[in-house]
Amino acid sequence: MDTQPENPVKDKHLLIAVDESDSSRRAVLYVADFLGGFPGFQISLLSIIPEPEQDFYETEAELKAWVEEKTAKANALLEHYRTILVQSGFPEEKVRFHACVGDAKSLSDAILAIRCDLTCCTVVVGRHHKTKTEEFLFGSTSNRLIHEAKNCAVWVVE
Amino acid sequence: MGHESGAYTEKDLLRMIRKWVPRERVPKRVKVKDTADFFRVDYDDVVVLDSVPYFVRNNEREGRFGIDDEQKFWVKRARNLLTGDVKILKWVFRERFEARIGDLVFDCVRSPQKEARILELVSGKPAFMQGKTVLDTAGNQLRILDYIKGKTLGQVAPELGSDHEDYFQNHFPALLKEFVVLVEAIRFLHDHNEKHGDIRRDHIIRDETTGTYRWIDFDFNYRHGESRFGYDLFGLGNVLLFLTGRGDVTTYRLLREDPEAFDRLTDDDVNIVFHNRVNNLKKIYPYIPEKLNRVLMHFAVSAPVYYEETQELLDDLGEAL
Repeated sequence: MDTQPENPVKDKHLLIAVDESDSSRRAVLYVADFLGGFPGFQISLLSIIPEPEQDFYETEAELKAWVEEKTAKANALLEHYRTILVQSGFPEEKVRFHACVGDAKSLSDAILAIRCDLTCCTVVVGRHHKTKTEEFLFGSTSNRLIHEAKNCAVWVVE
Repeated sequence: MGHESGAYTEKDLLRMIRKWVPRERVPKRVKVKDTADFFRVDYDDVVVLDSVPYFVRNNEREGRFGIDDEQKFWVKRARNLLTGDVKILKWVFRERFEARIGDLVFDCVRSPQKEARILELVSGKPAFMQGKTVLDTAGNQLRILDYIKGKTLGQVAPELGSDHEDYFQNHFPALLKEFVVLVEAIRFLHDHNEKHGDIRRDHIIRDETTGTYRWIDFDFNYRHGESRFGYDLFGLGNVLLFLTGRGDVTTYRLLREDPEAFDRLTDDDVNIVFHNRVNNLKKIYPYIPEKLNRVLMHFAVSAPVYYEETQELLDDLGEAL
């Protein structure tokens, strides 16, 4: 019996984690420039809204309004980046996006958990140019991704 | 909204006040005040919380609570008229502000619910101030804290020893052990996903009655980035540096008092945040063990890696003890 698999070559699935920063924009443009138009790639754009602590809000309603506002902004940004990727040659059906509120210990943990769920082979992030003091006090997501990621590649775009 | 006066008449209250307060301090009249607005509660008033009358004394000032010796109108010392115990009453005072360290700006908040949550979490733990939370008549979380009589760690350390070497050889080892207990206490908070939020030497008091050190003031929170506890760890590093140096060893101080030691320093030897503070204290005091100095250098400009978890700091301190 002649049985041909429907998808003999599985797409390489990249996860691009973004926020509103310029460095995230550079990461998206890099992927668009580097892989746009080549077959065999699938992109998931991800925006994680860091879980806000209740202590910063007097009421649940205030917190909910903040999350809704951030989610709407994130979705608009993701839609914009999706357009850039499609215009660079990725088929429309191969670029998806997802915004969520991160409830993990850190942003990098949340990104890696979603990478695992989506079975992406590569995580792409932009490198924020933080001062040493800032990195010391509040950490660096890209550094942590490099150290903590397992079973995947991490691209940190300068 | 009506205020809670319990079943106490003015005569009852004056009788109780006379029991705990020197005669010359007993007022002629006493008013029971509503607890909803701390601005309306004054010296010599009584507030009733959870059916317990408290005789209100002065507003607290920094050194103990708050910043720069300013009066904290929402933090009042009071005496429990049933037991005679001195308490600190802390009303709700919400504050949202931007903290600034150099060019770095980050969001901070003063959150009564955070302090209430932590008070419950650390109940019975000797390394923390103790207290409970009740609701005022407006339904806000008012905290009733045990008053801790004693000096802050920032006051204790510089008074010990005749000079740094005497301090370091004869007093510092015991202080370092106490510090490890304090770091373990912070690890306990972190293990429960809570930050202290405002770690500094003035927020550690040596309880005169027990001789142990206690963390105070849990109501600050900061908006963290990738590293949830980085700012707390920064605070712990500052306290350790202060203890090891028997005060802040600044470049300015060295330049005046020990220019030779100043000349031995390089740009890499100073604190990553406060560039006028020296972290490489071994260059100033050669008898400081290398292992301890290495811990200090994790908070220096030249540090290639930083502590992200309290346990990492504790592991290194364990080797330095």
